[in-house]
Amino acid sequence: MKLCLLLWAVVLFAADPPKKTFPFPYTQEDLPNGLRLVTIPTDSPNLVSIYIVVQTGSRNEVEPGKTGFAHLFEHLMFRGTELYSPEKYQEVLQRAGAASNAFTSDDSTQFYTTFSKEDLPQIMAMEADRFQHLKYSSELFKTETGAVLGEYNKNSSNPDEKLDEVLHDTAFDRHTYKHTTMGFLKDVQDMPNQYDYSLRFFDRYYRPEYTTIVVAGDVDPKRVRALADQFWGSWKRGTYQPDIPPEPAQPGPRENHVDWPLSTLPLLAIAYKGPAFTDTQKDWAALDVLATLAFSRTSDLYQKLVVSEQKVDTLDVDMARRVDPNLFEVDARVKRAEDVEYVRDRILDTVKRFQSEVVPADKLAAVKNRERYQFTMQLDNSQTVAQTVARFVALRRTPDTIDRLFEIYAQLTPEDIRAAARKYLVESGRTIVTLTGAAAGGGK
Amino acid sequence: MRLLAGLVFASIAFAQMRTVTLAGESPVVTLRVVFTTGAAADPEDKPGLAHLTAAMLAGGGTRDLTYKQILDAMFPMASSVTAQTDQEMTTFAGATHVDNLDTYYKLFRAMLLEPGWRQDDFRRLKDEAINALRVGLRGNNDEELGKEVLYSVLYRGTPYGHYSTGTVSALENITLDDVKRFYQRHYAQSNLIVGLAGAYPADFLERIKKDFGVLPGKDSTPALEVKPPAIDHTRALIVEKNTRSVAFSLGFPMDVKRGDPDYPALLLMQSYFGPHRMSGGRLFQRIREIRGINYGDYAYIEYFPRGMFLMDPSPNLVRRSQIFQIWIRPVEPPAAAFTLRLAAYELDKLVKDGIPAEDFERTKEFLSKYVNLLTKTKGAELGYAIDSLVYGIPDYNSYIKNAVAKLTREQVNAAIRRHLRTDRLQIVAVAANAEDLKMRIVGAGPSVIHYNSAKPADILAEDKIVGAWDLGLRPQDVEIVPAAKIFE
Repeated sequence: MKLCLLLWAVVLFAADPPKKTFPFPYTQEDLPNGLRLVTIPTDSPNLVSIYIVVQTGSRNEVEPGKTGFAHLFEHLMFRGTELYSPEKYQEVLQRAGAASNAFTSDDSTQFYTTFSKEDLPQIMAMEADRFQHLKYSSELFKTETGAVLGEYNKNSSNPDEKLDEVLHDTAFDRHTYKHTTMGFLKDVQDMPNQYDYSLRFFDRYYRPEYTTIVVAGDVDPKRVRALADQFWGSWKRGTYQPDIPPEPAQPGPRENHVDWPLSTLPLLAIAYKGPAFTDTQKDWAALDVLATLAFSRTSDLYQKLVVSEQKVDTLDVDMARRVDPNLFEVDARVKRAEDVEYVRDRILDTVKRFQSEVVPADKLAAVKNRERYQFTMQLDNSQTVAQTVARFVALRRTPDTIDRLFEIYAQLTPEDIRAAARKYLVESGRTIVTLTGAAAGGGK
Repeated sequence: MRLLAGLVFASIAFAQMRTVTLAGESPVVTLRVVFTTGAAADPEDKPGLAHLTAAMLAGGGTRDLTYKQILDAMFPMASSVTAQTDQEMTTFAGATHVDNLDTYYKLFRAMLLEPGWRQDDFRRLKDEAINALRVGLRGNNDEELGKEVLYSVLYRGTPYGHYSTGTVSALENITLDDVKRFYQRHYAQSNLIVGLAGAYPADFLERIKKDFGVLPGKDSTPALEVKPPAIDHTRALIVEKNTRSVAFSLGFPMDVKRGDPDYPALLLMQSYFGPHRMSGGRLFQRIREIRGINYGDYAYIEYFPRGMFLMDPSPNLVRRSQIFQIWIRPVEPPAAAFTLRLAAYELDKLVKDGIPAEDFERTKEFLSKYVNLLTKTKGAELGYAIDSLVYGIPDYNSYIKNAVAKLTREQVNAAIRRHLRTDRLQIVAVAANAEDLKMRIVGAGPSVIHYNSAKPADILAEDKIVGAWDLGLRPQDVEIVPAAKIFE
């Protein structure tokens, strides 16, 4: 029961600032071609989870008219090779009883599979093959763009998705965080005509230097390394480096509005330009903690707007954890349209309060405790262990960043929180977007 | 753990609480308290009462603490209590580090046994439920809306005949006294199953049993009977709203649940025909992979809510009556009628030909391994163990593995023929331009599909058959309802 003993250790040492938050030992190795391998043995009898993290997301989509291609590739990667047709690929996964899927975010595309340990060599071989030898016809390419449009369609009935799209489009001018991972609808509709570009995209980014394989579960690191050398060793390093335009300083506050064609509750998003993720400075961690203190369920504002006055239905907050500077965002779903301005002003008051006052030390301590318990409690099976590490690998390519980040959390003082609020939550970097629905009553 | 299954289920005499324990070394202690009551026990004029009652316990204050005080106390432990209300089960679940178990359990216990019944909590949670119906379901989630409408239509006139969150008008009229009465009547020891997993102290279970012993002994509600009305003829209900694409759900009641002789065979059928969110299923392959029509297509033999947000099914949704269901994810309107016909055509092929020989062994292998993944977390393992207790089966993994190992292709295909059918379907669509969709799905079409790329000759030939596939719908079998009236 290695897992359990290690989790105990975290708690026993909680009185002193612990050095290790991530409780599992792991190996991290680079193959000569630049591919990185992270192996984490855990106490999950018979099960193995693999996350293959490609550090290419919608952030890498630098050319106009080509948004959504990182996500399209998440789909195309299931379209087969000469050795493994899509049917054969499916058959292997099925015989392994595997759960397999993929997702794309701003900074990465991740492919994951969970299966029984005896199938590890077969899965490693097959994954290596598709990353090196993906081959799809222009007909299959066009067919897959239909599935991507289908995904856009299933998302499109949700006004939250639209709000998010408009918020990023409004807040950013040059950086590729301007568009969502799905991409602009016009680009998605144009995808069937972009077969040649898709080949170029694959050639640029599906390369070992962009890729990290995370293996967690009932595994032996030496065996995993041997399989990696055997199947992934011949993968050729690439040369492409995207020129991602830096976002210029925002010259002043911005606002935008969305008219939603159906009846829905008003939505309000208030966002500020925040820092990039960092595990060496306090900025990002301070804003992450501030988000919890100021706007989470135990905050004074949540108590006022949601519990006491009941003007707000949901109140959410996020300091986006991204490679480049992204948004600190507060979202409220307001019960009545006439209260939107009131809710907006209370959120802005709260921001001002955190710029002028220092938070009580006991409240800060409670957040630190929470972060630590939340983090360790989720690591209860090989899939969540691999998934958690993969989230950090997408940013820094190593699990080391987890302990570094938690050391920074431990060092944060009330003054650090106030300093971050003063530096980042400023009017000139603010974007407010509202969404209101059509009058209720219509069934159309 | 699996070998101990027989010992783990410490089932005590009828009319007392039952317990399920998975003692282990994990420092994360998981609690699942299940009451075998739910929306099916709602009075006819108060749909949503069971849901609001559970919401008041998990989302309101206790006799001594306000809701804010509970949130503050839970916060540093990163713990919470969640509620899930289904037709026959109401589940309160949470997990905490064993360090914090005493503090956490005191809150958990008070929330369930000493509710505060405050008017302001009630007002907030009622709003939340109404907004979940109007905005979360009807406004933002065409797919879940279609699925839930399918259930409410199939079970019309039975205790399952309303969505578990209720209706807007009923929620508006439910009073706090109604909630208290529901709690006093149904939150009884005879309905209670306490589930516990992790490195909890040796005397912890006794402590819970003593505490929960204050609940009334017996729920005197007569035993539930759920007999879905027969469908005479295939019919469709189109929920009309201004939306970009068309979402479909279709199916019929199927009298098979866990523990019944044909359950493992039908689970194998599901694994072949439409395993949830997996690309290997027949429906997914024929509709999405080959034709690129939509994002995914799946089949179910058990209730599986929130499937668009989940990769694995939630436990503790035990039902004595289940349906067979096909879920077609949103389709561009010009392709909608064709896609519906294609799903019916594939269902027909499944019933007539069964699972092909070349796919049968592979599907068996898949299911006997995949079942391990369903219980990869302690919370899920505990949830499945509670369900197994109620269904009266051994632990789920060994039940499925043992049964699947013995299944022959002939047995599975015979079970498919016994329980599945292509006539007498209930179809639900969520779509704009309902009249237009109606015209395109009645009769024998033809429905035409246009692709953005060349397709092989065998697919084009099959498309001709599919396009003319008669769903058996006559104009009088199609009902159109504005979305604003659904669950209102």
